Amino acid sequence: MNKAKLSRRGFVLGGIAAGVAIRVNFLADGARADVIDNPRDARPAWIGPNGKPRFRMDAVAKVTGDKTFTRDFRAKDMPGWPTAQSNALFIRANRADAAFESLDLSVLGADLQPDRLVLGEELVRDGLMPPDGAVVVAPGFYGDRFLVLKGETPRLLGQPVALLIYHDFPQFAAARRKLRFADVIQWGAKTGYHPPPPYGAGRSIRVGGATPADADLYAPLTGTIVGGTFDAQGVVWPAANASGNAAEKAMAAAETIAAGIENAGPDALVLQRRFYSQSVDASAMEPDNGLVWYQADSGRLHAMIATQSPYEVATATTAMVAISKFKLTAIDLSIGYTVGYGTKDHSIFPYYCMIAGLYGDGRPVRLANDRFEQFQMGLKRHAFWIDNTLVIDRKTQSFEAMKGVFRCDGGGRRNFSPEVGFVGMVAAQGIYYLPRSDFSYEAVASRAVDAGSTRGFGTLQTMSATEIMVDEAAEILGVDAIALRLKNVLRTGMKNSQGAIAGGQLRDDELLVQMQTHPLWTGRAERKAVYEAANPGKRYGIGFAQVHKDFGSVAEGAITTLTLDPTGLLSMRQHGNDMGTGMTTSQAMIVAAVLGRAPESYTFGIVDWPEMPLSDEGTVGTQADQDALAQNPRWTPCFLTSMSSSNSAFFIGHATREAARALLRFSLWPAAVAIWSEGAGGGQFGPLSANADEIRFEDGHLTAGGLEPLSYARLAKVAHERGLITGVSVHSFNRWQFSQAIFDVPTIGTMRLPIDALSLRFGDGAGGFRFIDRQQVFYPEVARMNAGVTYYSGMATLVELAVDTASGQVDLLSHHSLLECGNQIVPELVSGQIQGGLAMGIGHALHEDLPLYEDGPGNGTWNWNRYRLPHGRDVAVWTQTTTVLPPLSETDPPKGMAEVVMIAVVPAIANAVTHAIGKRFYATPITPEQILEALS
Amino acid sequence: MTIPHRPMSLTVNGKPVGPIDVPNDMMMLDFLHDYLNLTGSRFGCGQGICHACTIILDDPVEGAVEMRTCVTGAHFFAEKRVRTIEGHATRDAKGDILQLTPVQQAFIEHFAFQCGYCTPGFVTGTQVLIERLRKTPIARADVEKTIEQALAPHICRCTGYVRYYEAIRAVILSTPGLVSG
Repeated sequence: MNKAKLSRRGFVLGGIAAGVAIRVNFLADGARADVIDNPRDARPAWIGPNGKPRFRMDAVAKVTGDKTFTRDFRAKDMPGWPTAQSNALFIRANRADAAFESLDLSVLGADLQPDRLVLGEELVRDGLMPPDGAVVVAPGFYGDRFLVLKGETPRLLGQPVALLIYHDFPQFAAARRKLRFADVIQWGAKTGYHPPPPYGAGRSIRVGGATPADADLYAPLTGTIVGGTFDAQGVVWPAANASGNAAEKAMAAAETIAAGIENAGPDALVLQRRFYSQSVDASAMEPDNGLVWYQADSGRLHAMIATQSPYEVATATTAMVAISKFKLTAIDLSIGYTVGYGTKDHSIFPYYCMIAGLYGDGRPVRLANDRFEQFQMGLKRHAFWIDNTLVIDRKTQSFEAMKGVFRCDGGGRRNFSPEVGFVGMVAAQGIYYLPRSDFSYEAVASRAVDAGSTRGFGTLQTMSATEIMVDEAAEILGVDAIALRLKNVLRTGMKNSQGAIAGGQLRDDELLVQMQTHPLWTGRAERKAVYEAANPGKRYGIGFAQVHKDFGSVAEGAITTLTLDPTGLLSMRQHGNDMGTGMTTSQAMIVAAVLGRAPESYTFGIVDWPEMPLSDEGTVGTQADQDALAQNPRWTPCFLTSMSSSNSAFFIGHATREAARALLRFSLWPAAVAIWSEGAGGGQFGPLSANADEIRFEDGHLTAGGLEPLSYARLAKVAHERGLITGVSVHSFNRWQFSQAIFDVPTIGTMRLPIDALSLRFGDGAGGFRFIDRQQVFYPEVARMNAGVTYYSGMATLVELAVDTASGQVDLLSHHSLLECGNQIVPELVSGQIQGGLAMGIGHALHEDLPLYEDGPGNGTWNWNRYRLPHGRDVAVWTQTTTVLPPLSETDPPKGMAEVVMIAVVPAIANAVTHAIGKRFYATPITPEQILEALS
Repeated sequence: MTIPHRPMSLTVNGKPVGPIDVPNDMMMLDFLHDYLNLTGSRFGCGQGICHACTIILDDPVEGAVEMRTCVTGAHFFAEKRVRTIEGHATRDAKGDILQLTPVQQAFIEHFAFQCGYCTPGFVTGTQVLIERLRKTPIARADVEKTIEQALAPHICRCTGYVRYYEAIRAVILSTPGLVSG
């Protein structure tokens, strides 16, 4: 068995850790909201009489200071745990150029020495090493050591060298204060830096046909993404060979593009620009934290962890501990509400929490970063260096070709660095059709704090650069910047830079047309003149940018279970958990849209799914791999994904919607027909021709075609008494396309559904769920992995700002955005996401910046006193406006939009500053110092 | 305990607390979290920057004062009266919520927050503002500016502030006596 090729779940369930019971609870209970208003009403109070949410499901708990976040919980809050809790902290390396020799904890005096000091040698001796990752099973995903060994050089700044555990809280608090900026590490001789090898490189090359509709001459979708290797000089690409393998053909295509750029004549504008996008701390308000209790005698590991990826934490912890000296029989993982903007997805921090718990000598141990520690350890947004070339026909103003070379610094642990580089690469084309494109990424390692999955996932960096270039190109060509965009916009049916056609209608052109007529844009020259005349010393600018961004990933697995109890109450079980986006509220509303009511009870963040006995063991590298694995009706390419990639509305929502539809068709409709058919001649149902397509819910009652409205209570009673289906669980899979499967549904018949697994409960459910083995499955082709993207949501932003020529300060006067995201599930939540994304983008454009190395966050001295987050005064809070493009119809799916909304504002600000002072900026953040320098 | 400490008593959310032995240099936030299990006031920065940790000090002279508990020692509050986020809504004997304050109600109805980690600080800051305006009403034209100034130190990373500020404006404009003219 090759463990390296197994998925995490396969390894855990089929390998050494088989038999370990995994249970996950969502401990923070938003149902506390139900006590408000009318407790006698069965309908949760967060839903208004019109069936729309009056507020978020979790609103009351959060506004009253209830325990909702993982960080709020202590051992005494955990059912069944000991109340005596220990607290832990790290000593962390603030150098990465010398060997760690020893610790000198004399600063703590005799009174504040830890009760337990854990060093790296002890972990190695006990067989504890960082796991290999889950979604991407890659050795070194989390590095090679938890704690730096004596005599070794830290691979990254901020890497822990020792774990200190205190049983007494006052001692812990006092010790933490004394250690905060203390120099307690004894260093040996200088060794130089020891970062790991580069993390990966890839290249996406496409040469289209004569027209966008013609077949591509070369594209990754039908060819390959080219992988690069590394030598001392950098990336090494395969040799070009037009008749060679797919990668060699790709390189031959790249040569033709390069030759075209080289030989572009005077009729072409060849614009070459270099950009830098800085390292950024996501600054989620809740710092990383966890609480772990290990029972050595029974081998039970109990944990409460702040994470966006509970499934990964549970399974990877199992794998990690199972090969150590520690006995492991069960993992009992609880999660609460949290927030991370991606940085709590596949972070190493939960595994440090597990380590702390394992060495707690039977006591629960809490490991909770303060803000200095969070800067020192929290995953960062990758710094990108971008080298772009855009070729435009001066006469037609058509984009002819684009080349982009992207280098991102992943810091000292691999994490998702190659994937971030990849996603940034495939997004670089922005909203444009490119007849020829050659984009490549290089994810390099360094001693910087590790970067990972952070809101935008590489696309903010590459698309911002493209939008700044297009703005400059328009200026050089002397054309309207939006008109140039319209000329080159990617339209429905056109291929992206991987050769794939996006799902559904692309509406970037609609956004452009609307924004082109916005008063800020049409009146920008006059506004500038008027403002500057009225405000001496101020320069006024309007900037525009538009992007569209993918949502989801190459493997999206989701499960939803819905059950109907004998009294008619609905319950929902869901694997997703809420990062603040409001997904718990929106998933409930997806059910309501199908079933006429939201569930009365709901549980989120579930990992343990006895009703869905699927395996995702095995690696899908080729189509043949997938075809062979799919023969097993209990196999899926991906069991569960984390909360990331703006995936809740579309992907997890798909599973929820299909579960609701299945319950409607398999349970409620048959029960209704049974009731309506009672009596002679088929009862009231007999004379009519009503069918399931006519189902409507009126005031919570099911009716169809003039038939008697039936309450849930009546339907449930009949369904339970007659042993009809009363519970449905579905698993869905998406790889830029949803899987489908054919099922023989008992009591219903054979049907093809857009899911890959189905489980049903009958009657009172005494026998539990019955898994329905599919008869045939249709998974997306493996080549879809190269497609990069087929789902886009679009965002356009106009920014109005003023630059103070004396101070260089930028004052945002207003901004207007236009979003295309399909149907909104809860418009208020969408609106909040837009406003929050804009604020984060403003921070990236103007305020937030981290040095990468010795002066950066790894040195332990960074906090919000010097890392400038946007405040209310920075975001044009009263003057910003947003419009959401109406959907094409009420059947448009809701699209992921949490990331795209933060991107367009970044280049829009850069373009506005240029409009204001006539100077271009190719690096973010644009600081007052840089502006003053440009003005001088 | 070898760490210097001394007993302290105070009134938290209308209830007497203490005397409790508390280290001399312990911050109020640690005291609330790990002694009283009142975890609604949130740790954000530990430097007094983000204001997620604020509570109300009910000063007999100045009235409601917003205090940062991550940089203020617990003993500063000895013999004083404070309101934490857990004490804003009306609760029954079991601690279940009977009625939210107008500020809390406005925040939830405006979908003012997302993750909600900063919400206790925003509730606290807004409550202090409302109580100040009861004593010193402002002109309608100054409402937005007043909100900006009063809530300026509070950091929210999720929402972009718009819905918070709009909710606060709605409370101010709908509460009699806060706006003059």
